Amino acid sequence: MSATSPLGEPLSTAGASGGRTGTTGTFPLMLDIDSDTLASCVACGMCLPHCPTYRVTGEESASPRGRIALMRDVAERGEADDAFVEFMDACIQCLGCETACPAGVHYGHMMETTREALATQTRYQPRIRRLAYRALGMSRLLGFGSRLLGLSQRLGLMRLIALVGRARPFRQLAAMTASLPRVPVRQSPLTASGDDVWLFTGCVMDAWMRDTHRAVQSVIEATGAGVALPPAGASCCGSLHLHAGLAADTRRLAHKVMAALPGEAPILIDSAGCGATMKEYGHLLGTEEAHQFAARVQDVHEWLAARVDDLPPNASGASGAAPQQIAVQDPCHLRHVQQAHLPVRTVLSRYFEVVELDDEGLCCGAGGAYSQQHPEVAGAVRERKAAAIERTGASVVASANPGCTLHLRAVGLDVRHPLEFVAEHLPAREA
Amino acid sequence: MAPEDDSAADAALLADLRGVLGDRARDNDFERGLYSRDGSIEGSSPAIVCLPTSAGEVAQIVRICRQHRRPFLARGSGTGLAGGAVPVGRPVVVATSKMDSIVEIDTANRIAWVEPGVLNLDLSRALAPQGFHFAPDPSSQQVCSIGGNIANNSGGPHCLAYGVTTAHIAALEVVLPSGETTVFGGLDAEPPGFDLRGLFVGSEGTMGIATKAAVRLTPNAPAVRTLLLDFDDVSEGSAAVSAIIAAGLVPSALEMMDRRAIEIVEAFAHAGYPTGAAAVLLVELDGLPGGVDAGVGIVREVAQRHHVGHVRVAADDAERALLWKGRKNAFGAVARIKPDYYLHDTVVPRSRLTEVLSKVYRIADAYGLIAVNVFHAGDGNLHPILAFDRREPGVDERVKAAGRDIVAASVEAGGVLSGEHGIGLEKRDYMGMLFSAHDMYTQDVVRETFDPDGLANPLKIIPTGSRCSDSFHQHVPEGAWV
Repeated sequence: MSATSPLGEPLSTAGASGGRTGTTGTFPLMLDIDSDTLASCVACGMCLPHCPTYRVTGEESASPRGRIALMRDVAERGEADDAFVEFMDACIQCLGCETACPAGVHYGHMMETTREALATQTRYQPRIRRLAYRALGMSRLLGFGSRLLGLSQRLGLMRLIALVGRARPFRQLAAMTASLPRVPVRQSPLTASGDDVWLFTGCVMDAWMRDTHRAVQSVIEATGAGVALPPAGASCCGSLHLHAGLAADTRRLAHKVMAALPGEAPILIDSAGCGATMKEYGHLLGTEEAHQFAARVQDVHEWLAARVDDLPPNASGASGAAPQQIAVQDPCHLRHVQQAHLPVRTVLSRYFEVVELDDEGLCCGAGGAYSQQHPEVAGAVRERKAAAIERTGASVVASANPGCTLHLRAVGLDVRHPLEFVAEHLPAREA
Repeated sequence: MAPEDDSAADAALLADLRGVLGDRARDNDFERGLYSRDGSIEGSSPAIVCLPTSAGEVAQIVRICRQHRRPFLARGSGTGLAGGAVPVGRPVVVATSKMDSIVEIDTANRIAWVEPGVLNLDLSRALAPQGFHFAPDPSSQQVCSIGGNIANNSGGPHCLAYGVTTAHIAALEVVLPSGETTVFGGLDAEPPGFDLRGLFVGSEGTMGIATKAAVRLTPNAPAVRTLLLDFDDVSEGSAAVSAIIAAGLVPSALEMMDRRAIEIVEAFAHAGYPTGAAAVLLVELDGLPGGVDAGVGIVREVAQRHHVGHVRVAADDAERALLWKGRKNAFGAVARIKPDYYLHDTVVPRSRLTEVLSKVYRIADAYGLIAVNVFHAGDGNLHPILAFDRREPGVDERVKAAGRDIVAASVEAGGVLSGEHGIGLEKRDYMGMLFSAHDMYTQDVVRETFDPDGLANPLKIIPTGSRCSDSFHQHVPEGAWV
């Protein structure tokens, strides 16, 4: 089974039925994970039900326990094969396993180290994909490409290309854009309102979902704070690169981001994936400056939860009507990585009745670029999430991460950023 | 049987299995390695891993193994602690993890039909909206499978009041070692004939593979109270256990943890366990509200007679859940002390808990090991954990010797080899401590009735040499306890 990645080459979709090619040749691979870290997993298996890929495959090779055992094996032998690459590539990196792990195993760091070893020592990330990742850091190119894409979607150009295009690059382009959401052609700019806090705007999110930033900004301002915006060029946090094993690219981007957001003001993030990565800059760069920067980074809900009384009261509450029900989908990078999922409830419940899912924060399958690279597994994982959402009975869903939002919208769910719901409750502002 | 290096035999077997399963029959080194061990500390690679999706496929796998005269063994979630799912003799592993459907829930008759790969806690969650649950609740319940519970006749904290797995299985669809499919037990209150269902539950895969089970549904209690009692002295804590039962109460759960267990559990769960206490008891009472409240009063009174430090009653479901989260993750959390653990499972008479516990500490000290105790005190089911680092030279031998001494001390005190984890590979050679040669011969005859060729999870439970004409000649891997 093969699928076309939006970032380049056809990829095999390991996981659902994958990982059976173990007879191909081996190649040297140095995994720099120390033996204490590798030994920290006692293989009790408590992680298995919290791993989305194990949940949909039932296979040890698709479980955290299995992947750690494989890393241990490769670290000892100093060589790997294609099957190993497939098994490692099939991880969504949601880190639900870390939350579940009674032994406190640092699976996320082990997986990042493994991906980095694969990316630097093998052809794990093909050139075309590396170029695509690099484009995320180029805001003007990204903006231009997005407008072009939006225009093509409206003119039906992509369908035309899919119909008449014979050359492989055309077909790849058509296939990859078919699964993308409708991208805006024109977006009005955001306007800074002060310097109390920074609002980090990011790359794809700013190009495709700027209205989310607009809503978030209005909620921050409703507390009385002024919002500073980064200049163009601080565009990408490097999160996707880190997941892909391109940690050097992440470090390069981190320096740019840090330079663009100077001072002491808190840096507020409305994308769980970006926030998780920027909080890791200290660990990634190892400098005092990076640690200080990382300490300023907060998910916007963490900051708001401490000031929730400064937000306007719930106007519709006075009418005696029952508040609207909203199901909360916790992005993994908020719940399992940042452990900052509870503040979302603090903010939302000022205006709404928050309804919990019964799946203990199991991943939705989005995983940054994962859903594009492993559509089969990501789709199966999403089915479980959609069923959990349906069981809540709520008709709308709040998700604090753009990747999850787009992935869940693709199956017809009404998913918005939590603060987009809140913004609707704010009194109209003078222009 | 297939010798270690018979690659032609393996290839022929794989070809036949692929004919049924396609790419769900695996023989790559990585995956064979992943299925080489369970939650215990031993391991040896299988020849082939099969991932069937239906009872029909399981039956075909068994028939193919028979044709090739190759041993096979079923595996659930691989969390067993006695080595029951460790492959011995280059067998075919039949992993039931893809067979995870809840086929039917019949609340009128309080029965659910489930496939073996359904996870224990998933089943109880699915039943919750109708007000029921599946009563056996091993500490690993979030991950262990119903098939594994059946194989080991698993227990759990709440089995003190509700009984272990066998009390909750009405009927079983089983693929026998002959490849035939049959049903043991039934939905009637008293099915006619021998209770083969009762024989099968706890047989650890030596009599075939369960492919579907009718499990009994237990109604959720209308009222539940969870109490945490702390003691400055382990013996006061264990005396309180006996006194609570002697006072006429049967709590739904009655668990004990020692000082080290409290520390590691609190580090993981942040549930407010009193670090520094010598022991805590976690007591749960359920039933009708009036009865539960009266029970809380009795527990308080008994605990005070035994010089309890504090009596904390969980205020709500969230606090209860947090306390249980700590208790149920205790074993994995041992990794905070050492990267490996050897978890024991013996049962002693409740009245001798104090004495056997102090022997456990002495044994661990003598072998230079760390012992952590967290266990089902109410039914005298000890779970001493020996924490160690397998990278230390010679530590394996010390751990096994200490384990043997702990089992011997339990049996001497009038106890038995296993409360709920099964015999598997781990305790097979300790069977002689409890059973006479004649007992074991008789058990082997029963087993041979089901499996005359000795292909169903061979070399488990009953020690080799139990028969005059020993029928098991399989290769035994290095490291297996023989």
